Amino acid sequence: MLNEIKQKAIEEINQVKNLKELDNLYREYLGKKGEVTSILRSLKDLSEKERKEKGGLANKIKQELENLFKENKLKFTSNSSQEKDWIDVTAPGILPVQGYSHPITLVQNQIEESFQSMGFSVIDGSEIETEHYNFDALNIPKNHPARDLWDTFWLKNLDLLLRTHTSPMQARYMENNNPPLRIIVPGRCFRHEATDASHDVQFYQTEGLMVGKDVSMANFKGIMETFLKDFFGSELKMRLRPGYFPFTEPSFEVDIKGKNGDWLEVMGAGMVHPNVLKLAGYLPNKWQGFAFGVGIDRLAMLKYKIDDIRLFYSNDLRFLKQF
Amino acid sequence: MKISYNWLQSFFNKKLPAVEKLAELLTMHSFETEVIGKDNSDHILDIDVLPNRAHDCLSYNGIAREISVLLGYEFNLVDYSKKLKEDSDKLANELVEVEIKEKELCPRYVARVISDVKIESSPRWIQERLKVCGLRPINNVVDIANYVMLETGQPLHAFDLDKLLSSQSIKKIIVRRANKGEKIVSLDDEKYDLDENILVIADEKNPVCVAGIKGGKGPEIDSKTKRIVLEAANFDSQLIRQGSKQLKLETDASWRFERKIDPNLAEEAIDMIAYLIQDITKGKVLKGIIDVFPKKINSKKINLDIEKVNSLLGIKITKKEIINILKKLGFGIKEAGDKLNVSIPTRRIDVSIQEDLIEEIGRIYGFEKIKGEVPSASLIPPVRNENLIYRNKIRHILINLGFSEAYNYSFVSKEEPVKVANPVSQDQKYMRSNLIVNLLKNVQENKKYFKEVRLFEIGKVFYSAKNNKNKVEEVSRLGGVLSLNEEGDQTQEFYQLKGVVDSLLNKLQISDIWYDDVIEENDLSIPSFCNKNKRAQIKIGNDYLGWIAETDSGVFAFEISFDKLIELATEERIYSSPSKYPSVVRDIAILTNKKTKVVEIMNLINSAGGVLIRDVDLFDIYEGQNIPDSKKSLAFHIIYQSDDHTLVDKEVNDIHQKVIETLKEEGGWEIRE
Repeated sequence: MLNEIKQKAIEEINQVKNLKELDNLYREYLGKKGEVTSILRSLKDLSEKERKEKGGLANKIKQELENLFKENKLKFTSNSSQEKDWIDVTAPGILPVQGYSHPITLVQNQIEESFQSMGFSVIDGSEIETEHYNFDALNIPKNHPARDLWDTFWLKNLDLLLRTHTSPMQARYMENNNPPLRIIVPGRCFRHEATDASHDVQFYQTEGLMVGKDVSMANFKGIMETFLKDFFGSELKMRLRPGYFPFTEPSFEVDIKGKNGDWLEVMGAGMVHPNVLKLAGYLPNKWQGFAFGVGIDRLAMLKYKIDDIRLFYSNDLRFLKQF
Repeated sequence: MKISYNWLQSFFNKKLPAVEKLAELLTMHSFETEVIGKDNSDHILDIDVLPNRAHDCLSYNGIAREISVLLGYEFNLVDYSKKLKEDSDKLANELVEVEIKEKELCPRYVARVISDVKIESSPRWIQERLKVCGLRPINNVVDIANYVMLETGQPLHAFDLDKLLSSQSIKKIIVRRANKGEKIVSLDDEKYDLDENILVIADEKNPVCVAGIKGGKGPEIDSKTKRIVLEAANFDSQLIRQGSKQLKLETDASWRFERKIDPNLAEEAIDMIAYLIQDITKGKVLKGIIDVFPKKINSKKINLDIEKVNSLLGIKITKKEIINILKKLGFGIKEAGDKLNVSIPTRRIDVSIQEDLIEEIGRIYGFEKIKGEVPSASLIPPVRNENLIYRNKIRHILINLGFSEAYNYSFVSKEEPVKVANPVSQDQKYMRSNLIVNLLKNVQENKKYFKEVRLFEIGKVFYSAKNNKNKVEEVSRLGGVLSLNEEGDQTQEFYQLKGVVDSLLNKLQISDIWYDDVIEENDLSIPSFCNKNKRAQIKIGNDYLGWIAETDSGVFAFEISFDKLIELATEERIYSSPSKYPSVVRDIAILTNKKTKVVEIMNLINSAGGVLIRDVDLFDIYEGQNIPDSKKSLAFHIIYQSDDHTLVDKEVNDIHQKVIETLKEEGGWEIRE
């Protein structure tokens, strides 16, 4: 009979769902009037031999049940403390107000850092220019067909234009500073042309200029390789091929190898034309150097896989929030 | 320029490399080249001849010469003057006379006369080659003229001799400027009005051809044509460029002439065309060549310093290699110690200085063989650019305050002082004079997708210069816009934006900031699209820094002079240790008129309390129940603290009492404790 009670108790304990049910059950078996308690109490009416036999078993069962209740109670109480303290760590975090950088800023900063580490100073230039600095000082005389390479915005009733490249700063800087020199000039430029996914009326460019006694094309290649690897990663492959710019001689184009194996043009460059040095007041037989112009928008498009240049000037937060 | 692979092959006995390989070779050493298509058994190459090589490379001969140098293949021009058989009876100059009235504009005019031609279709091989290059076959004489132009680069023209008007038996060809009012109908039936800016080829009466650009209908070759005059001339490049622009007429001929070609080319081209016409139409080439060429062109000479070649390219190339490359390109060489005396073929109009020769040596040697070398020059640290440093710092501060960076167009649609002479669209007719107009458009667009929009921009704006009419003032600005949830209290947006400005200026260590709302009616410092009741000038001491206001679209904005900001900003700081002694906080509530400014009360508290006031903190503004309609209640925490002792109750009570008295007496306000 005692064993039957034990079995029944174990079964019922196992089905208990909460602390209250467990307490009730405890009272049923081990409370003052509980089944096991009553049996123990009834022992005194038995013979000594029976008392010994039954009493040992009853006490053992009582102890077992006590332990079982304790265990189960622990289960519920520890559970209930979890309920109180538990948090859903998968619920979304509360974001502080977020601001985002413009991709052109990010790329321009990277360019500036890379070239500054190679001793280049960062110089600012103005967006409105004279015909002299935008063209003549760069060996692009009036009526020269080469001027057609730069479609130009002119200002009404003024003898001024919106610079078509950052190159005017070559001349302006050399006029006011003595060689040797290393500079980059990042900034906004303008081109009078129809817009599409790869052309816009404005764009960002960085001019680079290094002049010294023996600055060579090999030096350009060394500097540019360092920069492009800085920017695109050490696996980058670049090549130079012939190009034409009136303000450099020799002139070359710089291509980088894309993921699909195609070569992509990223900048124009060359050795500063003696006429440009001469016009800026340098002695061309004493000084030489290289110059380059790299499109910042173009680098940003390649780096972030942006497929439309006009996105840069849309200021759509769906775009900006990705940077 | 479209080039046929098969036609190129015809110049060489040796087999050319596969078309892709050839394209790659040209790209790396001459011009960017793409294989753009297949046409039966031929491949078409698109060669982007560089502008400085348009003089000698807008032709098969030019490209073939490049290839011969790159591959080391034998290439020799055919001498057509030797293949040609002139008719010994008749002299060309008995039939045609050429008179050049503008010798500067037409440095050379070469003509030949052919009789007994039979006009029909040209042979298939000519038609096919023309088609590959994008030209439409017409008849044998015209097709041969085009063919010879493609091969030599010299534009040619053919007239029907018998259609030229003349008072005598000898026909006169005159090169002159057109007269104003003269007209010409072109071969393709378009009518053009001419004037003295246009050079024409004329007979005694009428213009018969727009020189170097397009032939006229008058002496057109047709099926009845028997006798023809062939022209190979040279015209001034600028004249052709301007004429082509003026008439809005660009042709294969004008394209070549405006890029300038060698006058010496005319002779070889006229012999080639005469030979082909003779060969194909069985016409008779009259004896003699009519050649008006008053100023002969001689080969230029340039001294080349071997040392300079190596120093500029950064390579070690021997004199022998240099000579070898230049000779292959057709340059003449005379050695003179460390220098070479190089004579330049007249077709190489692009080569005029030593550096031009170095480019030739470099590209043939191979740019890919030049090894990159980081310069070993002494390390000069880059110059510190304050603009750049603060620009980036300001960006970081604003981004941390929740603002995203915008880049707008420099152009706007509404009238501004600086106007673009040739805008690309009506929306972009003026140069912006502030950053806010475009930023407000950005807010409007973004509001479709976002409840809150916070944007800033750093950029240039433009004004007419005050003193100099032919100048534009270009100044840098920092602008910001803020738009929050529309249901909220709009005033809060103003204070939030003001908080952003304060925070920015604080972080740049700019103090003494105040907001001035006493603005003259006709003040121009704040744009007219701002609400006159909700606007202030941001000032630092006596200096104007910028403005903050509600715009007419209800969005709050600020704009600050970027240069002024950088001038005032500093990275210097001096640390002051926090006081070791406890602070005491007393609260005070003040009942004032609605229009009383908080800054007035704070100033009074500070001046009455003196040095022991550490901080005054407005924590509540209340209007409404229990307060008269015209009043508001302002509650402040006043924090008292000393750097050198613990404040005792009496001390604080005395100062606080003084503050209260001052507020009552000088401010005239009611104090509610």
